[in-house]
Amino acid sequence: MSHTDTDDRAHADVAPGDEYPHEEFGAGLRSYLIGLALATLLTAASFWVAQTKVMWAPAIPVALLTFAIAQMGVHLVFFLHLTSGPDNTNNIMALAFGVLIVFLLFGGSVWIMHHMNYNMMAPVEGGVRMPLQKGVPLQPEPQKGVPMQHGGGGHH
Amino acid sequence: MLGKLTWSAIPFDQPIPLVAAALVGVVLLGVIAWVAVAGWLPYLWREWITSVDHKRIGVMYVILGLVMLIRGFSDAILMRSHQALAYNAPGYLPPEHYDQIFSAHGTIMIFFGAMPFMIGLMNFVVPLQLGVRDVAFPTLNSVSFWLTATGALLVNVSLVVGEFARTGWWPSPPLSEVTYSPGVGVDYYLWAIQISGIGTLMSGINLVTTILKMRAPGMSYLRMPMFCWTALASNMLIIAAFPILTATLAMLTLDRYLGFHFFTDEAGGNSMLFMNLFWAWGHPEVYILALPAYGVFSEVISTFSGKPLFAYRSMVWATLAICLLSFMVWLHHFFTMGPGGDVNGVFGITSMIIAVPTGVKIFDWMFTMYGGRVRFTTPMLWSVAFLVTFVVGGATGVLLAIPPADFVLHNSLFLVAHFHNVMVSAVVFAAFAGYTYWFPKAFGFTLDEWWGKAAFWFSLVGYVWVFTPLYVVGLLGMTRRLQHFSVAEWYPWIVAASLGVIVMVFGVVCQVVQLVVSIRRREQLRDVTGDPWDGRSLEWATASPPPSFNFAVMPRVEGEEAYWAIKQRAREQARLREEPDYEPVEMPLNSPTGFVCAFFATLVGFAMIWHIWWLAALGLAGAFATFVVFAWRDRVEYEIPADAVARINRRNRASRLEALQQARRKEAA
Repeated sequence: MSHTDTDDRAHADVAPGDEYPHEEFGAGLRSYLIGLALATLLTAASFWVAQTKVMWAPAIPVALLTFAIAQMGVHLVFFLHLTSGPDNTNNIMALAFGVLIVFLLFGGSVWIMHHMNYNMMAPVEGGVRMPLQKGVPLQPEPQKGVPMQHGGGGHH
Repeated sequence: MLGKLTWSAIPFDQPIPLVAAALVGVVLLGVIAWVAVAGWLPYLWREWITSVDHKRIGVMYVILGLVMLIRGFSDAILMRSHQALAYNAPGYLPPEHYDQIFSAHGTIMIFFGAMPFMIGLMNFVVPLQLGVRDVAFPTLNSVSFWLTATGALLVNVSLVVGEFARTGWWPSPPLSEVTYSPGVGVDYYLWAIQISGIGTLMSGINLVTTILKMRAPGMSYLRMPMFCWTALASNMLIIAAFPILTATLAMLTLDRYLGFHFFTDEAGGNSMLFMNLFWAWGHPEVYILALPAYGVFSEVISTFSGKPLFAYRSMVWATLAICLLSFMVWLHHFFTMGPGGDVNGVFGITSMIIAVPTGVKIFDWMFTMYGGRVRFTTPMLWSVAFLVTFVVGGATGVLLAIPPADFVLHNSLFLVAHFHNVMVSAVVFAAFAGYTYWFPKAFGFTLDEWWGKAAFWFSLVGYVWVFTPLYVVGLLGMTRRLQHFSVAEWYPWIVAASLGVIVMVFGVVCQVVQLVVSIRRREQLRDVTGDPWDGRSLEWATASPPPSFNFAVMPRVEGEEAYWAIKQRAREQARLREEPDYEPVEMPLNSPTGFVCAFFATLVGFAMIWHIWWLAALGLAGAFATFVVFAWRDRVEYEIPADAVARINRRNRASRLEALQQARRKEAA
C-alpha cells in the first residue's frame, strides 16, 4: 500500500523479519553466523551435559534449563533481531506480554491441577481426605515410615 | 463412500427442526433466486463476496452477527416456552432435542452472534478512526470472515443433517467423549468452532497489526480514540486466548477420533483439565466481547454528550488492566470442582479486583455525561441503559466471585441470569448502539429514530422482565438446563420469564421494521456531509459511505479528538481546510481467495464430521491449492488516478462547505 512510502514512522518500528534498510549485507550475515555458532554451541553443550559424569547429578536438569533459556535468548536476538533499541519497543512489549500470559496460564494450570488432582482424583485409603490447603492436616494420620506422596505438611 | 452419512441422519421423525429448516431453506432459496433473476449475482460477487475492503467485510460480519442473533434468539424462545409448559409435564421438546437447543443457543450466541458483530464493528470502524485506508492484511481479512461464516453454516447444517451437541456450549468431558456422545453432535461443535476459531485468530492478528503499525501520521497511542484502544486490548486477548481453545478442542478431537486419553478419566486422562483449559480461554473471551463494547459506549456517550471522554488516560489504563486481569480469574468458573480453599481464595479475590477497573470506566462514562448537552438518540439510550443494568450484573458477579456464595449458586438460574445480565447489557446493547451509530457511515443514511427507540424500549423492558424472575428462581434453588420440573414455587417465575420473552420478540420485530422503514425513507434520512452526529473522531471526517480508499489524503493528527479539532477550526474560520494536493491511491485488488478457502474448509469440516476421509483430503488439497494460487499472483494492487480521488473528495467538500455556511447563516439570523 502506498502510504508506507510517505509514512513518517515507516522506519521507526521494524517488525521481526523486516529488512533493515540501513544495515549492510555483511553485518546482517555476521549476526546470523554468530547466532548459528552460539545456538550450535548451546545444543552441543546440552547433549554433553546430559551424559557427563563431571557434574553433580541433581545439577544437570538445572544446567539443561539454563541452556534452553539461553538458546531462546540467542534465537530472539540473532534470528528474530530483538534489540533494546527504541525501534523495538513493540516487539519487546509483545514478547513480555506473551511470556506473562504463558507464565500465568502454565503456572496457574499446574497449581490448579495439582490441587484438584489431590483433592478429587487420588484414591483415599481409610477415611475422608481433607482438602489440600494451609492449616489443615493433609491426611488424618500420616503413616509412620512411609514418605507422603503429596505436599508434606501443607506448605502449599 | 459417505462415511457415517446415511438417510437416517435426516431427523424425519422430529417435525420442529425439519419444518423450521424447511422454512429457512425456502426463504434462503427465494432470496438467492430473487438475486439471480434480478441479475445482481455478478455485482454481489464483485463488490461483496470477493471484496477485501475492510468496510465491506465489516458490514458482512455484522449481517452474519444479526442473522445469528435472531437464530440464537429463536432457541431462547423455544427454551423459555418449553419450560413454561414443563411444570409437572413433559413440555413439548423431548430431552435429547431440548439438550441440543440449549447447547446450540450458547454456541451460536457467543461464537456466531456476538463475536462476528463485535469483530465486524472493529473491522469497519478501526481503520477509519486511525485515518488509514485498510487493515494490514486485506485478503487475510476476507479469509477470516468467510471461515467464520463456514463455522456458522456447519452449526446450522446440524439442524437437518444429523444432530448438534447435547453437552452444553462447553462440551465437558467425559460426557463429550465417544463413550457417552457417540453421535456427530459434538463433532459438529468441534469442527465448526475450530474452523471459525482460525478465522477469529487471524482477524485478531490483523487488527493488532493495523493498530500498532498503521496509524495516520501524528496519531500517537495516546491520541487514538477509545474504541481503538479497546479493540487493541480485545484483539491482543484473541491472540493470547484463542490458541488455548484451539489446542483444547484439538485434544478432545484426538480423544474422539484417534482414541487418545487427554480427558477420558481413564488411562491417565483427566476431565478436569478440559475445564481448566476451556475456561482459561473462556474468561478472556468474555472480555474479548466486552472490551469492544466498552469502546462503543465510550464513543457514543462522548459524541452525544458533546464532550471529550472524561479521564481518557484512566480509561486507557482501565482497559489495559482488564486485559491483563482477565487472564487471572478463570478458575471462578469451577470453584466447586474441588481446587480447595487456597486456590479458590486467590481466584475469588482476583475476580473481585477486576470489578475495579470496570467501575472506573462506569464513573468515567457518567462524568462524561455530567455537564454535557446530552442528546437522547437511540445509540445513547442503549448506552444509558447499559450503565444502569450493567451495574446490577456486575454486582451479582462480585457476589458470585465469593467462593462460599458460589457453592450455593453454582449452576443455578441465578448464574444464568448473571451472565445474561452482563453479556446482554454490555455486548448486545453495544452491538445495537454501534449499529445505529455507525449505520449512516456505512450506508449514507441514518436509521429511523422512532422505530429505533421502540426497539430499544421493548428490548430493555423484555430483557429485564426475562432475567429478573430468573435471578429469583435461581435463589429459590432452580438449576439451569432443566427439561422439566415439579417444584410449585418455581412455576410462576418461569411463566413470568416466558412472558418477558414475548416483549423481547416485539423488540426484535421493531429492529427489523426499523431497517425496512429506513431503507424506504433513505432519501429523507440521507447523511450528506458524512458527519450526522457531530462526531469527534476521524471516521466522521470522510464521506458517508466512505470512498473505497477512505481518505483522499492521509489526515495529519495534532492532538486527541483529531476530527473535532479540524471541525472547530473550520467553524472559527468559516472555511474548510486548504484543498490538498491529490495523489493517485493504490488499493489492494479484490480476491476470491477467502470465499474459495471457506468453501474447501466447509468440505473438510463436513467430511470430518461424517468420517468421509477422501472428501476431507480433497478439501485440504483444495484449500492449499487456493493458497498457492494466491501466493503466486502477479498483480496485487490497482491504482485510482489522482483526478478521480480529487473528484470524489471535492463532492464531499462541497456538501461540507454548504453545511458550514448554513450553520453560520442560522447563527447570524
